[in-house]
Amino acid sequence: MRGKQQIIPYLFLLPALILLIVFNLLPTIATAVESMFVISLRSGDRVFAGFANYNRIFNDPIFWKSLQVTVVFSLIVNPFQITLALGLAMLINQKLPGIGIFRSIYLLPVAVSLNVTAIVWRLMLDKNTGMINGILFQLGIERQPFLHSTDLALWSIIMIASWIGVPLWSLFILAGLQNIPEPVLEAAKIDGANSWQSFTRITLPLLRRVLAFVLVADTVANFLLFAPILLTTQGGPQLSTNLILYETYRRGFLYGDLGASAAMLSVMLIIVFLIVGLELYVLRGDD
Amino acid sequence: MPDSMNPSPVTRHGKPLRAILQPAIVYCLLIIGVLIVVIPLMWALAASFTPNHKVFEYAYPFSWRALLPVDFTMEAYDNLFARGFGRAISNTFFLAIATVIIGGTVNALAGFAFGRFEFRGKNLLFLLIVMLTFLVPIDLTAIPRYILVNSFGWINTWQGLLVPGLANSLVIFLFRQFFAEIPQELIDAARVDGATWLRVLGSIVLPISKPVLVAAGLLMFISQWNSFFWPLLVAPRQELRVIQVEISLAVGQYGTIWNELLAGSMIAAIVPILLVIPFQRYYVEAITGTGLE
Amino acid sequence: MFLKRLVFLALFFLLVVAPSFAQDVTTITWLTLGWPVEAIIAEFEAQNPDIKIEAEQIGFNDLFAQIQVRLGARSPLPDVIAVDVPLVSGYAFRNWLLPLDPIFTGDEVEDWLPAAVNAGSYEGTLYAAPISTSTQLLFYNKACFDRAGLMPPGADDRLTWEEIAEIAPQMTFDDDGDGTPDVWGFIWEQMVRIYQLQALPESLGGAAIGEDGLTVDSVINSPEWIEAFTYYYNMFNVWNAAPQGEEFWPADIFETGNICMFVGGPWNIPRFANNADLDIEWGVSRHPYFEDGVAATPTGSWHIGVNANSENVEAATRFVHFISTGEGAELWWREGSGDFPAQQSVLALFATEEEFDELPMSYMRTAADEATVNPRPRAVTVGFLEYEQILQNIFQDIRNGAHVEESLNLAVQRIESEMAKYRE
Repeated sequence: MRGKQQIIPYLFLLPALILLIVFNLLPTIATAVESMFVISLRSGDRVFAGFANYNRIFNDPIFWKSLQVTVVFSLIVNPFQITLALGLAMLINQKLPGIGIFRSIYLLPVAVSLNVTAIVWRLMLDKNTGMINGILFQLGIERQPFLHSTDLALWSIIMIASWIGVPLWSLFILAGLQNIPEPVLEAAKIDGANSWQSFTRITLPLLRRVLAFVLVADTVANFLLFAPILLTTQGGPQLSTNLILYETYRRGFLYGDLGASAAMLSVMLIIVFLIVGLELYVLRGDD
Repeated sequence: MPDSMNPSPVTRHGKPLRAILQPAIVYCLLIIGVLIVVIPLMWALAASFTPNHKVFEYAYPFSWRALLPVDFTMEAYDNLFARGFGRAISNTFFLAIATVIIGGTVNALAGFAFGRFEFRGKNLLFLLIVMLTFLVPIDLTAIPRYILVNSFGWINTWQGLLVPGLANSLVIFLFRQFFAEIPQELIDAARVDGATWLRVLGSIVLPISKPVLVAAGLLMFISQWNSFFWPLLVAPRQELRVIQVEISLAVGQYGTIWNELLAGSMIAAIVPILLVIPFQRYYVEAITGTGLE
Repeated sequence: MFLKRLVFLALFFLLVVAPSFAQDVTTITWLTLGWPVEAIIAEFEAQNPDIKIEAEQIGFNDLFAQIQVRLGARSPLPDVIAVDVPLVSGYAFRNWLLPLDPIFTGDEVEDWLPAAVNAGSYEGTLYAAPISTSTQLLFYNKACFDRAGLMPPGADDRLTWEEIAEIAPQMTFDDDGDGTPDVWGFIWEQMVRIYQLQALPESLGGAAIGEDGLTVDSVINSPEWIEAFTYYYNMFNVWNAAPQGEEFWPADIFETGNICMFVGGPWNIPRFANNADLDIEWGVSRHPYFEDGVAATPTGSWHIGVNANSENVEAATRFVHFISTGEGAELWWREGSGDFPAQQSVLALFATEEEFDELPMSYMRTAADEATVNPRPRAVTVGFLEYEQILQNIFQDIRNGAHVEESLNLAVQRIESEMAKYRE
């Protein structure tokens, strides 16, 4: 019986496992391996090159610049999205008439694809014909080159990413809020806590697990962001939105520099791994 | 929240005022949020019913007419369908449904193994799957995947479109969470009656798993529906084109046909929206279920 | 239930895999853009019943990554590929394209414009056959000249860039007083692409790339380039006569009267001529040049090549031969690309066909002549894609207000960094 039972779970796992290994794991390993090879462009022959590709990217100012942009982007976008998502979750957690309609509307960006979002926002943010500048004009504010100025472009990308990100993450936080038992909050009120105190002392600590998950997932998602860049600024102006994943895409898919692209991807995965580890360690807390 | 910054406790006069004010502020904030969500979509929808050269007419300077079609026309939609958009829609439907059925089976089996069995290597395998979910951007490993699929001779085939996306670690995760919480007695009772594990899964577990089935189905359907990069690489042939690839054709060498691009985008968006709204509860459970252990 | 699904799965594979065994004609795939391809395919298949053509049409922006991934993986598909001509060197260097010399006779090669043959060749071997070429003209809206009290140029006049700088701001009007002009004086059709903008430094005597086909330092940041792109910068940022922002297609707003002049391709002539709703009076003149420089016109367009790893080389070359020569080329010109033909025999039809006797279609004859005036192909370099895309980013930056010299220096840094991989 026991022996038989031992084999059954593996059988159940087998189809999924084979598919994941073949189509996800192998390509990932292949990428790591590829970063150690140089491909002769002329013949297509692959030659083992040790860390030559890494050497090349570490000596490349464009790589460092895009790493820097990525770090700045991450440091802004994650706290920004999570704070807004928390605010939105608190809003739609209110028991008010019609709140269900609002919740449905806030689901819309989550269902729309990233491609569609990026294209629509690109048009809306245009300097001459974009609606956002149209609205600013009505308010008496000068036109802004949202996607074409080094001061604004990264912020515009952050806004586009947040249009989807904030509603998405607020769903997770909302679920966490709804898991907080009503009596706990009631008790705090009776003890004389005002709403700010009950928010910081009761709600936030109870949301810690959810917020930890959202922080990790959001960090990874934003590190891996590249479709909106491809469809809006293409890394410009003057590399100010040249996120590392987009640079990786450009090298690998457009310029056929697979070695450098794989090396960048590997470096990036290690960085993501370290950051996620650090976040999990910091948020580990007492229990 | 801003009103709660006031440290003084609730006063006799303050309370009714607060009771009115607080919901008013909440509604105001909610409506601002709704405008941010809805205006881009309304503009895109209106523009898709507008002749191409008038798409930006009322956007700058902004007038409310930008949110309504100018010179209402179906031209963009007519052109799209004349070019074979109908085929792309049915292709995408077929792919998404095949993914839900076949992928759903594969992932449910795996989720069941993780949720109901103890076996050697379970934690290691599970960790592996979670890592694949979180850390590896699927599009960025597309070149080695393409080389592999190419060696199978699957370029420009349904298999090439479908098979690599069947196993989905997020969905396995979701199934595991749900199956782990089914009471042991239910399963034991069936096992005592001599049912095989497949039978237990098919006739005991699945019938009570409607929420997770709907949720997993939605996740798989929508991610396949919105996929662009892989289908573009693996099956650009006309008979196999999916919606997102067909939309990208509106960006031509000599410019972009904006109203067609937006019309295609609206069709692409409407299906997931129509699915998500009625099944909202399941969908929210699905994405939150993957995050809350 | 589970078994049933398994059976379904098996059936599904059978149904999908099985048909690939049941072929008695050769099917070749043609990776191409969204051109109307039906007529040329139908005619070719009628003449070659043993070959079937599958067109894989994809968007312009996706073509290059698609070729990179598929040919880079040495995939046998697609068999036939639309090649943007400056990329021939890069593809040939990587051995992705089949040498085509054996399939064309000497007469057929001589029929092509010499610049097109050169551009389709790498190290003396033809790798891609020309199916179209291009040139550029100045298009203008007569009403703008009337409104500004100016005389429009004749079809054979050639304005200088200095003259354009003078008249374009006079034809820029902010009618509703919102601070943004509603009618703009001037723009380049492909406003941030090297294809069109290369003519600016070249008119001043600048080169597109160093002698070795890789070096860009002291070439694209030379005094000629700085002068040329300062002019470009001024048009958008100082004289405010051309719109900034997103890339867009000027013909669209030319038709609504919102742009007065643009430098663009001859494909706009049939477009405007056949637009029954168009109620503006328009004309063309020759491609502008700098007063102290020479006339230099952009050229180059689409070629067609065969995948070196194709398993259907015979069928593929037959199609390439058909579309790039003789009646196939003529059919492609009439019903396909809408671009300018690269065959002198087809170009000659402009002079004889009645369709081109009268205005405005007679402007096609102006274009056919302009195509012979100092046509300047794009840089011949194996790293053209990198070169082009990085410059595209840089031009977009300059157009939107970035410092000219700094931007060109950044372009040098970025392009040199990409070219490093070709230097081994």
